Amino acid sequence: MTSDRWRILAWQVAILVAVVAAWEYLTGIKAISRMPGLYWIDPFFISRPSKIVERFMHLAGGSVRLSIWAMAWSTVQSTLWGFLVGISTGFVAGLVLGRSERLARVCSPFIVAFNSLPRIALVPLITMIFGFGLLAKVVLAWSIVFFIVFFNTFQGARSVDADLIHSARFLGANERQVMWSVIVPSALAWTFASLTPSISFALIGVVVGEFIGGESGGGLGYLIIQSLGTLNAADMMVALVVLGVIGIVMALGIRQVEARLLRWRPEYQKR
Amino acid sequence: MTAPRVRIAVQDLAKTFHEGTREVPAVAGVSFDVADQEFVAIVGPSGCGKSTILNMIGALVAPSGGRILVDGAPVAGRAPRQVGYVFQKDTVFPWRTVQRNIALALEYRGAPAAERAARVKEAIALAGLQGFEEAFPATLSGGMRQRVALMRSLVADPEILLMDEPFGALDTHTKLTLHAELLALWEAKRQTVVFVTHDLSEAITLADRVVVMTRRPGRIKLVYSVKLPRPRDVIRIRETEEYSREYGEIWHALGEEFMPGEPQPQARRQ
Repeated sequence: MTSDRWRILAWQVAILVAVVAAWEYLTGIKAISRMPGLYWIDPFFISRPSKIVERFMHLAGGSVRLSIWAMAWSTVQSTLWGFLVGISTGFVAGLVLGRSERLARVCSPFIVAFNSLPRIALVPLITMIFGFGLLAKVVLAWSIVFFIVFFNTFQGARSVDADLIHSARFLGANERQVMWSVIVPSALAWTFASLTPSISFALIGVVVGEFIGGESGGGLGYLIIQSLGTLNAADMMVALVVLGVIGIVMALGIRQVEARLLRWRPEYQKR
Repeated sequence: MTAPRVRIAVQDLAKTFHEGTREVPAVAGVSFDVADQEFVAIVGPSGCGKSTILNMIGALVAPSGGRILVDGAPVAGRAPRQVGYVFQKDTVFPWRTVQRNIALALEYRGAPAAERAARVKEAIALAGLQGFEEAFPATLSGGMRQRVALMRSLVADPEILLMDEPFGALDTHTKLTLHAELLALWEAKRQTVVFVTHDLSEAITLADRVVVMTRRPGRIKLVYSVKLPRPRDVIRIRETEEYSREYGEIWHALGEEFMPGEPQPQARRQ
């Protein structure tokens, strides 16, 4: 088992090293970019690892007006806010509509319509309303997360096992106690299952918001768009690498939280 | 000596389900009484409406005709407080540990923490669940989960206990163990029990009286008084002549209901 895990890790490291080495080596050979179809193997387009590290050090240093840390923090902050607000509002809405047949039927067409709208199309409108700052990014992330959590919770609240509710009543539960001891925990199990996709989508929402948010919103999306304007592939790559790291760390964190919250589920049982 | 108090009175009970435009009679003209501290089993072929009767006593299903009185009051809408129910299906809350499941009734009632802890500890000891207090149901066997469900109901101190094939999904050995445990618990508190099962030996082992149902629509074919002395040893009892005789008599009546073809109405006498 353990030796197997080490072997897999060794392979993963080897692949990473090989790709980075090939990238560094091939972009150093001018002749390749002159071949037809391979023009993009050129530092101008895809930069090169050494250049990216150099730019990273520069952007991380104190000499720049907006450091990579400040941008990363702005992105993380907006993502977490959008995620938290999206989860809480999505959960409450899903629970309320999931337990009220009539309300669900009234709201259903509006929800479907709003959810089918590509959220990116809303970016200009949200920017007009909420300006170029943090708020617009949070709203955008929220508008995506809300629906993911809403639909999951809605489904969860509707599929609560009727016999669990009956058994709670036989044990003397009043309606409020049935809500808190049966319906909320049942629905939460579904909500938790939507956390991992939610955090990824929150990050997407935020980066898209940053694309047009300008400098006042800051963030890594801003660095990407700015690099496009100055045709600076190295800075763009720095932003992408940092975004990738943020995405991985957040997903791993959420998975830990999920495993903790759903530890009663068979798939999380160690025995 | 006065006749024992009637706890449950089932009077001319009927239930018809509607499947689309079709009417499916499930139970028709069922009447019986359950006395205080009595253990009554209802047996019958599957689909005879025995669970439906129990559901109606527990106010989970509304009757189409007739009525049910629990302690003299008609059952309507919500089950009376003194009634507990053990479901056939696993209804232990999967997100709660064993002890927090057993504590549910006490939590709902708002019992003080100290009382709660003491009662739960006692229940866990009675059910032999020591060492599993903090376990989640997913890690338990079916028999242990049903034990938790039973103790969870008993902690609420129900005077009347409705049990819907609670051991139906268990293997024979586990079933026998649970029969012994249930009888011991019942001997101590003497709840009034209505126990639905399709397993005749289970009914005879546990009950004072066995209500035998016909095929759908379920009517009462026979009410049989089990004479086996108490306390009963669930294993030894099976080796007695009395057990075999009673089993044979009820089996004969029940067997007719398992015959292929239409049941003969003229053969039904109460």
